[in-house]
Amino acid sequence: MVEESLIGIEKETLIKIKKLTRIYIMGEVRVPALNNVTFDIKRGEFAAIMGKSGSGKSTLLHQLGLLDAPTSGEIIIDGKNLLSLSESQKAKFRLERFGYVFQEYALLPELTALENVYLPAMALGRRKEEYVKNSTQVLEQVGLRNRLHHRPREMSGGEQQRVAIARALINKPDILFADEPTANLDSTSSKQILELFQQLNIEIGLTILMVTHEPEDRKYVNRVIWLKDGELAEQGT
Amino acid sequence: MLSNLNLSLFLAYKSITKGNKGTLVLTVCIMSLIFVNLVFTASIFLGLGNTVNNQVINTLYGTVALEPKTDEKYISDVYSLKQKINSVPGITGISAQYVTGAAFSYKDKSGSWAIRSINPDDERTVTTIHNLMIDGEYLSKLDSDEIILGKEIPGGYGGDLEHLSLGGVKIGDSINVLFNNGVSRRFRVKGVFDSNFQQSNNIAYISQKEMESVLGLSDKASLILIKTRDLGNEGSYIKQFLELGIKEEIKPWTVYAAMVKNITASFDMIALLIAVIGLFVASVTIFIIIYVNTISKRRQIGILRAIGIKESVIIHSYILQAMFYAISGTIIGLFIMFFILKPWFITHPLKFPVGFVSLLIVPEKVMVNTISLIAAALAAGLIPSWMAVRETILEAIWGD
Repeated sequence: MVEESLIGIEKETLIKIKKLTRIYIMGEVRVPALNNVTFDIKRGEFAAIMGKSGSGKSTLLHQLGLLDAPTSGEIIIDGKNLLSLSESQKAKFRLERFGYVFQEYALLPELTALENVYLPAMALGRRKEEYVKNSTQVLEQVGLRNRLHHRPREMSGGEQQRVAIARALINKPDILFADEPTANLDSTSSKQILELFQQLNIEIGLTILMVTHEPEDRKYVNRVIWLKDGELAEQGT
Repeated sequence: MLSNLNLSLFLAYKSITKGNKGTLVLTVCIMSLIFVNLVFTASIFLGLGNTVNNQVINTLYGTVALEPKTDEKYISDVYSLKQKINSVPGITGISAQYVTGAAFSYKDKSGSWAIRSINPDDERTVTTIHNLMIDGEYLSKLDSDEIILGKEIPGGYGGDLEHLSLGGVKIGDSINVLFNNGVSRRFRVKGVFDSNFQQSNNIAYISQKEMESVLGLSDKASLILIKTRDLGNEGSYIKQFLELGIKEEIKPWTVYAAMVKNITASFDMIALLIAVIGLFVASVTIFIIIYVNTISKRRQIGILRAIGIKESVIIHSYILQAMFYAISGTIIGLFIMFFILKPWFITHPLKFPVGFVSLLIVPEKVMVNTISLIAAALAAGLIPSWMAVRETILEAIWGD
C-alpha cells in the first residue's frame, strides 16, 4: 500500500495495526491494557509512542515487536498477519526483520561488545569473517571502535545502550523497536542515543518505533502516537 | 542445523568460561564427588565379593575341584587321575587331599575342626596357605607327626572365635587328635596360619602320608584341588576333563563360593541399593545445580528469545553446559579413583572378617556410572531450560 506523505514523497505502509486489544487476566480481574488500537506505520518513519504511565505504551510496543500476543486484532506486515505465525516463525521474523533496544540494555554479561553484536548474525548462519567484520563496522558506526572487546560491566550505561543498538542493527532490520532507551541514562548519553537514532533514520531510512515519556524527545521524531488508557488519543508530527 | 549447534556451543562455552568461576569450580567439584561416591561404593562392595572369591580359590578349593562319584567315599587311582588332569593345557597345580573331621584336645580344652591332609609340595601349587604362616613353619613332605593349625584353633592368636579354641597352644606343643574313624594320634604343632578368612582358619593340615596311615588308605583322596592359569574359563576345563573320561564330580570354584553366596549376594544387593539411591541423589543434585543456574539466567534466556534466538538453541546450550559439568566431574572423579583412592587402598586395605578388602574398579561398572551420570545431567540440563523457554518472553525478562 502506498500513501502520500505531507511533503509529497510517497511512503510505503510498513505495518498495519488493526483493532489491537490486549487484556491481562489477573485472577478473576480483566485488565484492559490496549483497546481497539488501529494505525499504520510507514517505512522510514521515526515514531514516538507517548502517554502517561500505564497508558499502554510498552504493551503496544511488545505486541508490535512480537514479544507478547494480543488478545485480539491484527498486525500486518507485507500483507501477512503476524499473529497467525507459530512461535518459531515469530522468532525467525524477530531475528530477520526486527531489532530491539530495551531500557536496561539487555546485553549478555558473559559476552564482549563485539560478541553481543554478532550473536544475532551468528543465529542467521552467516560466515564468521562476515559477521565479525559487519559487527565491527556497526560498533564503529555507533562510536565504540575502542570498546569491541569490553564486556558490559566494563562500559558505561550509554556505551552499553549503544552496543544494544549495534546488536539491533546487525541483521539490517526493517524496524527498530526501542522501549524507553534513554530512561536509565544521563542527559548527555540520552542526547547521544537519540541523535544516533535520528541519524540512522535519516541516513539509512531505518523505521524506528520508540516508547518514551520525555516530552523533549519529540524533537527527534517525525511522528508521535499518543496513548491514553490503552486507546489511541491523537497522532501528530 | 550446524549453525544452530555452533551457536549453542558458543553460548555454552561463553557461559562456562566467562561466567562465575566459583560456581563453575563448585559445580564440577560436586559432580566429581557424586561420581566418586557412585564408583567408590560399588568398588568397595565388588572388592569385598572379590576377596571372598579369592579366599575360596586360594585357601580352600582352587579353581576347579574333583569330588568322589556319588555313593563313593573316596576318589580312587589318584596318581593316574592327576596325570590325566595335568595333560590338559593351562593346569598350573593339582593337590589331592583327604578331608575329615576330628576332635582336637589340649590340656583341658577340646573342640572339633576339619582336618585336611596334603602333599605340601603339591599344595603349594594350588593354595597360598604356605604364604600365610604367622607362627612356626609350613609342613614339609617328610613330616609325619606334625600339624599346622588355622588361626581359630590354637587360641591366643586373635581368632574371631577365641572362646571355642584350644586355649593357647604354642608352636612345639603336642595336641591330641581323635579322627572320625576312632584312631587317635598326637601331633606336634609346627605352625599357625592366618588367611583372614574364618572358613580356612578353622582347618588343620597334616601330611598325606600321616593321614593314609590313620585311614589305612593309599592312592585315594576326598578332594582334588586344581588350579588353572586363567579365571572364568572353568567350564572349558571341565569339558576337557569330561572328554578325558574323568567320572568324578567336577565342580568349579563358584559352586563352593555359593556357601558364602548369601554374604556376597547381600553385598551385591547393598551395592545396588546404594548405587540406585546414589544415582537418584546425583540426578537431583545435578538438577538443582542446573535449575538454579538456569533460573538465575532467566532474564538472559528471555533476551535471547526476544532477539530471535531459537528455543532449541537455548535448550541445547544448557544441555551442553550440563554435559560439560558431568564430563568434567567424571574425568576428575576417575582421576581421584584411579590415582588417589585405588593406590591408597592397595597400601591400606580394609580388614573385614573375609580378609583384606581393596577397591575393585570394574570398567563396565565405571562405564555404567559414567553413562548414568551423563544421562542424569542431560535430563537436568533439559528440564529446567525447557521450563524456562515455556515462559513468555516478557515474564522471562521482567518477571511479570
